[in-house]
Amino acid sequence: MTGPLFPQGGPNMGQPAPRYEGRAKVTGEARYPSDVRLPRTAHACLHLSRIGRGTIRGFDLTAARAVHGVIDILTHETVGDAIRQTPAIYQGGYTSDSLLPLGSAEIAHWGQPIAMVVAETYEAAREAAQRIVVTTAPHPSPAVDINAPGAETRALEPMMVQAGDFDAAYAAGPIRIDARYTTPAQHQNPMELFATQCVWEGDRLTVHEPSQYVNSVKFGLAEQLGVPADNIRVISTHVGGAFGAKGFLTQRTALVAIAARRLGRPVKLVATREQGFTVSGYRAETRQHVQLAATRDGRLTALRHEGWELTSRADTVAMGGASMTTRLYACPNILGRVNTVAADRSTPGFMRAPGEVPYGFALETALDELADRLGMDPVELRRVNDTQTEPVGGLPYTSRSLMRCFDVAAATFGWSGRSPRPGSMREGDWLIGWGCASAYYPAQAGNSAARVRLTADGTAHVASAGHELGQGMTTMMAQVAAEELGVPLERVTVSLGDSDLPPAVVNGGSAGTASVASAIMIACDAIRARLGVPRDAPYAALRAAVAASGLAFVEELGEARAHGRSPESLPDMYRGRALPLGGVELPDRVQFAMGAQFVELRIHRWTREIRVRRAVGAFAAGRIINPRTSHSQLLGGMIWGIGSALHEHTDIDQRNAAYTNANLADYLVPVHADISEIQAILVSEEDRLVNQAGVKGVGEIGVVGVAAAISNAVFHATGRRLRDLPIKLEHLL
Amino acid sequence: MTEVRFTVNGTAQCVEVEPRLTLADMLREECGLTGTHLGCEHGVCGACTVLMDGLPVRSCLVFGVQAEGAEIRTVEGLAAADGTLNVLQRAFQAQHGLQCGFCTPGFLMLATWLLEQKEGVDEARLREVLASNLCRCTGYQNILAAVRVAAQEIRVWREG
Repeated sequence: MTGPLFPQGGPNMGQPAPRYEGRAKVTGEARYPSDVRLPRTAHACLHLSRIGRGTIRGFDLTAARAVHGVIDILTHETVGDAIRQTPAIYQGGYTSDSLLPLGSAEIAHWGQPIAMVVAETYEAAREAAQRIVVTTAPHPSPAVDINAPGAETRALEPMMVQAGDFDAAYAAGPIRIDARYTTPAQHQNPMELFATQCVWEGDRLTVHEPSQYVNSVKFGLAEQLGVPADNIRVISTHVGGAFGAKGFLTQRTALVAIAARRLGRPVKLVATREQGFTVSGYRAETRQHVQLAATRDGRLTALRHEGWELTSRADTVAMGGASMTTRLYACPNILGRVNTVAADRSTPGFMRAPGEVPYGFALETALDELADRLGMDPVELRRVNDTQTEPVGGLPYTSRSLMRCFDVAAATFGWSGRSPRPGSMREGDWLIGWGCASAYYPAQAGNSAARVRLTADGTAHVASAGHELGQGMTTMMAQVAAEELGVPLERVTVSLGDSDLPPAVVNGGSAGTASVASAIMIACDAIRARLGVPRDAPYAALRAAVAASGLAFVEELGEARAHGRSPESLPDMYRGRALPLGGVELPDRVQFAMGAQFVELRIHRWTREIRVRRAVGAFAAGRIINPRTSHSQLLGGMIWGIGSALHEHTDIDQRNAAYTNANLADYLVPVHADISEIQAILVSEEDRLVNQAGVKGVGEIGVVGVAAAISNAVFHATGRRLRDLPIKLEHLL
Repeated sequence: MTEVRFTVNGTAQCVEVEPRLTLADMLREECGLTGTHLGCEHGVCGACTVLMDGLPVRSCLVFGVQAEGAEIRTVEGLAAADGTLNVLQRAFQAQHGLQCGFCTPGFLMLATWLLEQKEGVDEARLREVLASNLCRCTGYQNILAAVRVAAQEIRVWREG
């Protein structure tokens, strides 16, 4: 099958194999963690704080306990010290924030879990949770957002990026841009809710939970509960979308585990959609300041990007996107700074392209402002400043195909037909806007292991604790093993999403495929070496070699160490400490996937309704193992980009920092009606340095730059430069 | 507790439930049909869409007791008894109309209803109907392609 939605593999691309678990997902047979049915399950429901920062004075549980079927109610008074403090991931630990679950009477933020009811049915648990009466002492003036007077700003000096003399170069710049941008809080809202089921058998605990990193849950929970990690198994076979929200251990898991231990029964929790807004992290709101100076022919002479990111009082968390926006274009004088602004909110976290979406919006919009000031085509501005040497440290990119992406996407889009003057393209009552921007994402990988077994009957099995989040991990794993061994794809089976399997990196940071594919390749190499079968041997020869060995099967473990990690770091993955490394954090080189985004939108002359008519993106991300699943990752990312620019923002109550649109009716995400023509083009690129697999990852780059392309198109349509997301029609009246 | 008699995918069911139990939870918990997924529990996302007497309903917004005497169809009933996928399931797989798969059962049931309508389907109608469910991954382009291909295959597609 061919056509724009089903690209065949080009050079350095594999086959567009159909999704491995496709059948299970169209028949309802796929079991997500909340679908697992355990006998005698008791059901839990959280009670979240309905005040902002403050203190609990006491609980009245009489009405809650009176609900028929209620078994147990956990509060800080009953949990006591059953859960031990463990460090958050930002401190080298496991948890997504450092608040101790039900740890004290202190409430840090609206939506914090302060009680959990366990009952015979979900309905009883939910009713009782609503009947809990809490007496509280709210803080008189909590800091609710990044602009709140009581919020504390702190400069993160280690995140400073500096080259040359920005101040002098900016002062001397013939053409200057000085602009400030804001991006809102946003929530990942995967379709699957945050579920956890825990069951104890003696002193052994099994956790069913959708996760991007089962080993973070396993090892973090072991520390929290004071249980040997070997006694805990975490299973996450199918994940109903994650986007960063399911990356690390949240407070709920330990609560469900101790409830199950207290009761001697399985306990199941499914947080509601509203509760999900504070159960895990989110994309924090930012303020940004960009200053650019350039020569009259468009060469950048000075670039400064400073960001302010909201964080919680408990955790200093920053995505630090300026470390990347300062390393995209040739420029001799650079300054990048990152600040956190701590407020009385839950701890933010990762959301698809966490640093790249907000910082990329600011820089790529500023470049469009510069192009407009110069009277220069924005594509040509990027070409003039394209470079094969990263400008801060003078390091080489392992590969960089930015302008090839621009050229392919521009040709497909028909960019040469653009009339540059704002407001000059019209169709009837519609103003037409064309805009473009660069997309980029750091190519990262982490230490990972995989086990491959080749059986005498000619089948192969590949196993690793990677995760199927919908991105196509399972299919990719089967394809790599099939290709490396020469086994037909339909004879390869896969196990993943289980902490009993060889450990893999967190499936975030677009690092999953790069990391796990490398481990599978090493395991397959070892199998072929053991059998004495060369790389290009036919399948029959491989089978004959297994038969001749007299073994029922040949099995090897492959351990892949990410570039930049020391040999001593390998055991870390066996302790749930495998985080991705790469991008700009390497001493000898930088690694980026790159792309180009083009958008056409229409703005109605009278109503100012904004419609994205079409979007074209082209992306070069090294080896593409499966063009079908990669392509749909990119398409999905581009639609996320449209959402990030035009729809998504979490509304914050100015009294108590409550999220007032914490549901899918009011938190707007794109639907079919918002999406017309979207085209993602896979640009062939070969990178033998980036990692053993040659893979850069495509999970996140598709969303990057779309918001800037849209804001630039809005400017082109109307002459109005909007620097605050999301862009809504009322901003154009 | 109230006794409810209904059929699911042609099989007679008799369960005792609290009147406040949703149809979605009744299917999942009482009938063991966990292919119907809950994504928002207030009728927005459509992941829990099932067919009730031939009409698509958000099973999170219907009480189980309202299914008394009803004919319910869920994703588990789409394939033939021998496991052969139906035309829509094949199209979703072939057109890659799914990623994480959590929204898929809802889209499949919504599209099942759409393709059974006498007036057929054109592009505008297709987009209008499918806009009622959310896919966050987001596979909108391929979901459209899948339903379009299925409609063409069973000859209910109208060029509009």
